[in-house]
Order: sequence, then C-alpha cells, then structure tokens
Amino acid sequence: MSLKKQDDMDHNAWLKSQDLTAIETAFLTTLIWLDKRLRIVDYLELLETMYYRANLQMPKSHTEQYDLDNKFWYWYPLYSLGSLSIIAYLLAAVSGALLGFYYAPSTAGAAAQGDPTAAYDSMVMIMTDVQFGFMLRSIHRWSAQFMVAAVFLHMLRVYFTGAYKEPREVNWILGVVLIALTLLFGFSGYVLPWKQLSFWAAQIGVELALATPIIGEWAAQLLFGGFTLGQATLVRMYILHVFVLPFVVTALIAIHVGIVWVQGIAEPH
Amino acid sequence: MTDDTTPMTDGGTDEEARTDGGPPATVPPDDETPTWSERKERSQGLAQLTYQYFERSRREDEDLRTESTYVERDVLGFPTWPHETIRNLAITSFFLGIMLLVASIMPGHFGDPANPGSTPAIILPDWYLYWSFGLLKLDPINPDLAVLGGNIVMSNELLGLIAHGAIFGVITLVPFLNKGNARRPVEEPGWAALGVAGVILAITLAVLAIQNFFPVPLELLFSLVFMLPVAGGVITYAVLKTMREGYMYDLNRRYYMLRPPK
Repeated sequence: MSLKKQDDMDHNAWLKSQDLTAIETAFLTTLIWLDKRLRIVDYLELLETMYYRANLQMPKSHTEQYDLDNKFWYWYPLYSLGSLSIIAYLLAAVSGALLGFYYAPSTAGAAAQGDPTAAYDSMVMIMTDVQFGFMLRSIHRWSAQFMVAAVFLHMLRVYFTGAYKEPREVNWILGVVLIALTLLFGFSGYVLPWKQLSFWAAQIGVELALATPIIGEWAAQLLFGGFTLGQATLVRMYILHVFVLPFVVTALIAIHVGIVWVQGIAEPH
Repeated sequence: MTDDTTPMTDGGTDEEARTDGGPPATVPPDDETPTWSERKERSQGLAQLTYQYFERSRREDEDLRTESTYVERDVLGFPTWPHETIRNLAITSFFLGIMLLVASIMPGHFGDPANPGSTPAIILPDWYLYWSFGLLKLDPINPDLAVLGGNIVMSNELLGLIAHGAIFGVITLVPFLNKGNARRPVEEPGWAALGVAGVILAITLAVLAIQNFFPVPLELLFSLVFMLPVAGGVITYAVLKTMREGYMYDLNRRYYMLRPPK
C-alpha cells in the first residue's frame, strides 16, 4: 500500500464539471468541507432511515387483522390507565411546584410537644391565606391519589390481558419498580405536613427500616436521618419528594413509555 | 536454608514467615498463554461475533417480514392529526376535569399537628398503603413460624418486611413463570385465579390494617384475610374453566374463518 494520498472521489473535479450557480457552489463547497471532517453523510443516512421508519407502511395490526375493533374499543378505558397516571403525575408536578413556593420543611417553632411546627403552619397558611391555596393542595393530593390508583389498575390490566409476556418482561419489571417508587412518593408526601398521622406513619417507617437485618440502621439513617424523627427526617423526606424521586421517576417513566413505543402495545386476542 | 521449626526473632517460625504458597506474582509464558496478538484477535473476534449476530437478526427480521401474511396497508395508519390528537386531547381533558372536580368537591381533611408525646389511637397511612400496613399486622401467625421451642424467630416487623419482599418478588417473576401467547383470562384460568386472589388479598389486607373500623372478632377477620382470596381464586378458576369451552369454541371459529388452515 502506497503512502500516496488516495482520493477515490474527486469531489472538486465533479463540482467543476457541474454547471452551478454561485450559491450552489458555495453550498456544496461548504458541505463537502464539513463532510470531509464530520462525515455528515452518516447522520443524513440516519435521518433518512428515521424518516422511512416513521413513514413505514405498517402491517395490519392484530385488532384489524382479526376484526377485534369492537372488543378493543370496548375495553379501551382500561388501556388508557397508563396515560391517566402520567397525566395525574404531570398535574401533581405542576401543583407541587406551586405548593413548593409556600411550604417550609421545618420542625421549628413548636414551643411544646404537640404545638404546630413551621411545616404545619406553612400548610395552614397555604390552605387559609394563599389565594387558591386550598384548591391547590386539594389538587395535589387528589392527583396523587389518582396516580396511585391508576398505576395499580394499570398493573391489573397488564396482568389480566397478559401484556407482560415474552418480549415485555423488562417493562413489567420496570413497572414494578415504578409502582414501588410511586408508593414511596406518596409516603414521603404524606409525611411532609407533619401532622399527627404523618408523624406516626413516619414512625412506623423508621421502625420498619430498623427491623431490616444488616442494612436496617443504615437505611434508617439514609431515609429518615436518624432513629428518632425530627428536623432531619422532614428535610430528607422533602428532598426525596421534590428532588430525588421526581428525577428518577420521570426518567423511568420516559424509559417505560419508550419501551412501549418501541415494542408496540400488546393488543388483546 | 534453616530448619522449618527454627524460632525466628519474633517468636514465630520460618514457615510462617513465608508467603501463603500461592504462585509467584509473574507467570512465565507457556504454550497455553495467549500472546498479545492472540488476545487482540479474540477481542476483535467478539466484536466480529456481535456484528455477525446483528446481521443475522436483521436478516431474520427481514425474512419474517417477507414471509408474513399480513396485509400491507395502503394508508399510513391512523392519522396523528387530527384523529389521534383530538382523541388524546379529549381523554386528557376528561381525566383532568375529573381530577379537578374531585379535588374541588372533596378537599382533604387536615389533622392535628404532630405530637411525638402522644400516640394516636389509630395510626394509618394513605389508603394505597393499607395493604402494606396490613402486612405488618401478621403477628398472629408469627409464633406459628417459630421453630425454636415457641420463641419467635424474627420480629413482627421483619416478618412484615419479608412478606413485602415475597409479594414484590412473585409479581416480578410473573413474566418468567407464565409464558406463551395466551392473552385472555379464559385461556389461562389458573393465572387469572391467581390474579383475582392477589387483588382480594390486597383488599383483605387493607381491611386488616383498618381492623378497628370493623366490628368483627380479630380471629375471624384474620382467617378471612387468607380464606377469602383462596375462595375468590377457586371461584374464578371454576367460572373461567366453565366459560372456557364456549369461549374457545367461539375464538377457534373466528380464527378458522379468518385464517383457514393451509
């Protein structure tokens, strides 16, 4: 192999042989210049492939093939539960972001045991003083309830229609993880108002964590900031609720939906 | 070379001062040792294999597509705009409307501030964790699991945690245990029965969690928690088995009409 520079495609000669306007020449020169360095053609091919993928002549769907439309549409509400949980999640995110302007994750301010803390007071403030605050909290709470309910029912739908089978195992497992995280979302949000019920629910959480062999104390430290409940617990639950879980759950939902997109919806027979 | 048992200055023997008998740090190359070029070839071979596999799977896809009896559409699916978009908007606004309506007519109750000094009579999480809370009240069966002279082996909390793990584990394993193409509950009465039993168990566990609200003796309630799911599962199984004949007949007839055997 010689060291002489090889140039199979003499683009410049080809350019000269064409009868081009100044604009075309400039454009092609730039394009060739860039392509020699960045290999744009590869990306163009990628785009082209994507274009043809998107406009693929789809085969007839199972429902079409076997004329199951009536059956499918009859059960359609059950097939929109995943969508409902995402809508509820988004509504909770919006209302939660607005609530976050007013909520203070602090146990300060209680002179004696059982006095309202700063967190509790900020909740009362949201519900009584903030314009639309009562409704805002109600929306946040109910969208959370709807999300959990939709997620549970979604799982049941997937189970009873066998939609978790062969190529979709990974998405089923992802769904189980998402359910667990949704419950954790709900639990951490339940603790935030620092009501009696919040406090004692968290107390049970700590006891559970401590009952776990080997990692128990570590888990209690990580999640609840100690073995007894206090300021650290509230802040950890707050950060979990407004920072950690939103990122994780949003990312997992994106992957979950992405896999559904790639694999297609498992239609009933 | 001194005798093995000769005492050293620290009181030990020469034997202990040696290494633990492993091979020396550097291994001289023998016939079995791959040369660097061989290693490189092997790693390239892996890449080669991966590439070949992808080629094969692509070929497989293509073959399946060409062999498929599916009728190609002459239209490009259900149009995203306006049909799909309007349908999605309708569903979305319907759900949003329901949520806002419920939120406006049933705002949540707001309780007393936290008091670490006084345990309330009723401790409850939100409704969706009732089943989980119920699992923590399995202590009546804990002594039965004991093996060491009636002493409980684990704390009640640990029992509850293990129950959680078992439930999540079973749910996770479902796709690996149940394979095949069946999609309708009638086609697999056993799995449908298991699902119904699971749902009923979740409900009965929730009832166990809020046992204070039910004027049923605890013994009876506890029995019902485990008997009702079994009963529900058995009934489901029986009903589906009975329905199955008729359903399968109908299904087979339809499939047969649409896709006559070759």
